[in-house]
Amino acid sequence: MNITINGKTCTCEKGEFLLEVARRNGIPIPTLCHHPALAGQGSCRVCLVEVDEGRGPKIVVSCVYPIQRECTVETDSERVRRERGMVLALLRKRAPESRRIAGMCRLYGAPELPRLTPADTGKCILCGLCTRACTELSVGAISTVNRGVLKEIATPYHEPSTVCVGCGACANVCPTEAIPLTETAETRTIWGKTFQLVRCASCGRILGTREELELAAKRCGQEPETLCERCRKAATAQILADVYGD
Amino acid sequence: MSKTVLVCCGTGCLANGSKKVAGAFRQLLAGTDHQVECVVKETGCNGFCENGPLVQILPDDITYYKVQVQDVGEIVEKTILAGAPVERLLYKNDAGQRVRSQQENPFYAPQMKVALRNIGKIEPSSVEDYMAHGGYRALKKALTMTGEEIVRELEASGLRGRGGAGFPTGTKWRSAMELERFPKYVACNGDEGDPGAFMDRSILEGDPHSVLEGMAICALAIRAEEGFLYIRDEYGLAVHNVQEAIAQAEARGILGEHILGSDRRLKLSVVRGGGAFVCGESTALMASVEGRVGEPRAKYIRSVQRGLWDCPTVLNNVETLANVPVILEHGGAEFAKLGTERSKGTKVFALVGKVKRTGLVEVPMGATLRHLIYDIGGGVKGNRPFKAVQTGGPSGGCIPADMLDLPVDFDTLKARGAMMGSGGMIVMDDRSCMVEVARYYIKFLSEESCGKCTPCREGLRHMLAILTDICEGRGQESDLELLEQLCDTLEDASLCALGKSAPNPVRTTLKYFRDEYEAHIKEHRCPAGVCTALTRFVINPDKCVGCGACQRACPAGVISGSGKKVPRVIDNTRCIVCGSCREACRFDAVEAKGRAGL
Ligand SMILES: Cc1cc2nc3c(=O)[nH]c(=O)nc-3n(C[C@H](O)[C@H](O)[C@H](O)COP(=O)(O)O)c2cc1C
Ligand code: SF4
Ligand code: SF4
Ligand code: FES
Ligand code: FES
Repeated sequence: MNITINGKTCTCEKGEFLLEVARRNGIPIPTLCHHPALAGQGSCRVCLVEVDEGRGPKIVVSCVYPIQRECTVETDSERVRRERGMVLALLRKRAPESRRIAGMCRLYGAPELPRLTPADTGKCILCGLCTRACTELSVGAISTVNRGVLKEIATPYHEPSTVCVGCGACANVCPTEAIPLTETAETRTIWGKTFQLVRCASCGRILGTREELELAAKRCGQEPETLCERCRKAATAQILADVYGD
Repeated sequence: MSKTVLVCCGTGCLANGSKKVAGAFRQLLAGTDHQVECVVKETGCNGFCENGPLVQILPDDITYYKVQVQDVGEIVEKTILAGAPVERLLYKNDAGQRVRSQQENPFYAPQMKVALRNIGKIEPSSVEDYMAHGGYRALKKALTMTGEEIVRELEASGLRGRGGAGFPTGTKWRSAMELERFPKYVACNGDEGDPGAFMDRSILEGDPHSVLEGMAICALAIRAEEGFLYIRDEYGLAVHNVQEAIAQAEARGILGEHILGSDRRLKLSVVRGGGAFVCGESTALMASVEGRVGEPRAKYIRSVQRGLWDCPTVLNNVETLANVPVILEHGGAEFAKLGTERSKGTKVFALVGKVKRTGLVEVPMGATLRHLIYDIGGGVKGNRPFKAVQTGGPSGGCIPADMLDLPVDFDTLKARGAMMGSGGMIVMDDRSCMVEVARYYIKFLSEESCGKCTPCREGLRHMLAILTDICEGRGQESDLELLEQLCDTLEDASLCALGKSAPNPVRTTLKYFRDEYEAHIKEHRCPAGVCTALTRFVINPDKCVGCGACQRACPAGVISGSGKKVPRVIDNTRCIVCGSCREACRFDAVEAKGRAGL
């Protein structure tokens, strides 16, 4: 099937997400809450584009829009620029301290909207990726609490979580570096809790927190890892070499 | 001779003691050797709750209002035994005459009850009573039809969803029927989160079998074997009556393993709502039924295709489903004779606000707003000037006086920026501030938004801040344009229909009542005298007759003056602007002015 994006003909499969098709064809669309491993979020709305399937143009968000039929797509029409700019401007009011949001606002010409009061909560844009990541790992230490304008991301009762293993997946997926994660040589601190770090017995690289390794080991019914992946491969190669000779 | 006493035991009348009234009837009529045999039934809501408890005596066809336990003896003696009315309990019509039957009551006379056909006449959960009134005949007929034939009737009827969007029900059923993926599900949306709405509650409470029958017919058509009724958590009586109705229908072999003895099966169960307005949105509702957080998802693939557990699912509103048995029984073409070109059948409205008669009203589509408000509702309370009617729930719109002759149907309201919604209708008089009305709804929506997507969560927060500023005298001239800009973004970029339709209250008030916004912003004055930061009440000495009613009403005690014909004076420095004086004055002498010069 063929669709047209910004005048360019692009080949795609029915049901493919518009964002993927555009990117494959070198057409950039900004995203924030889109993560290839955690698809279907569709919450930030910055990836919006204009689609016309023959019944007039409409705004859709490209990261979750499945292509159903032939259509023409504009990723930078006047309407797209206006609404994307407004969405980014609203995100800047939500996350005034985020450099990434500020940068995107500049790049896409978001209006200043001085009349609107910024929320005083730092960098989080409430996209929900972090809670998704934590839930997909079956830990579920953080979640969104409250709804509507009072929504926030937190551990239960804002107390250090009893189930958090300190893996830092949430901080890694966060598009705006909103989750503080600090490390010393021995420890990692996240969500108000400090974890002991375990290092590779051979090369000394950080393997993860003890709780994280124990959880992973328990899930596959083995002893916790002591070597990093590279050293483990090297060790296996050594064993093979010893057995079969060089 | 046998008589029936129908005691209204809907939520409104229960609150006014109707259970005791029913008990008193039973007690007085039991065991004695009256010549008259008498059955006492507790029914669902008659829709006229402000005059409850209602009691109807058949076959005399006499309806009494505001009946209390102490009235029961007289009713038994005079009406039940002697067939004569108790005058003082009859309804007084607009001409001041007492009327016996509901057909003579101006509130009921113009109505046409289709969805509400049985309510008030039957015992809600009783399968016998429902069948005695023609219930489950349509289901029996549906068993002899193919899915295609059933869907054709629905298509011919022109029925459109009563839950708000007005989507053609036949089209939805056809999509589900044609998918060859199993299992499939039927679901009923009984979340009804609009403040002030109670049409779905009264159907679920008062005639649950009609909804079950509608669902069963849908299940036959699309070949589903399981279904859910998602009912708002606060609706305890509705949940109870529906569960009881399911149990009775299963015990009777109407639902369950063998629908009316056939080899088709349907298992229905009740799911209690998640307690948020947004849970009424179809994808959020389905997430909630599946046990997940009630947040919407992108609906680019419709829930008919990917509904409960990603299976084909038909979700219909309570009132939509209650219409289905009527369509099957009498044929789609017959149903399509009612209503307008593109909106068929009737619609139930909850008529509330500044109107003389409030309640639940069912009229054919296309009735005018004037008919609803003036003929059925009896006009504006206190004969004040009509200002606007808000239709369609929190994300509906406000329609001004010069549009009172608009026919009410899906498309007409939508074209004016309002919507039919689920049928809320709030009448406002000249003492309603339209900026404050917009602020109220935006506040509700900002609290009820799920907060998932940026435009809705952030946009509503800022819109609320701006509207609050305007109401409190901090509005700026550029605010109106900014509001419109935010409306555009919500409409275009929000994830679900809550955000997409949230601008309606702002847009319609900006469109039809812009002068009120401008008075707030430019003149620091609330023309309706509602926004306290912008209002000063002044007594017009030419109109004041010196009756002192305002003085007695003022909780702050700041009105001075005494003696007949001596105009009263308000000390504005100490006035708390509660408006009690204005409400109390019968000569319109208390006037709302701006606070300039204070
Ligand atoms: C925020 C929101 C709340 C809704 N609440 C309800 C509701 O309480 N009851 C209802 O029947 N439909 C509600 N709807 C509409 C439903 O999404 C859906 O369109 C409807 O249940 C479909 O049934 P129908 O076609 O019979 O109307 C709501 C929609 C939105 C966006
Ligand atoms: S912390 Fe980061 S990932 Fe989590 S919701 Fe906020 S912005 Fe998204
Ligand atoms: S507004 Fe209230 S306090 Fe003020 S004068 Fe009237 S009644 Fe009194
Ligand atoms: S990236 Fe598409 S909605 Fe966030
Ligand atoms: S509950 Fe009796 S009339 Fe509504």
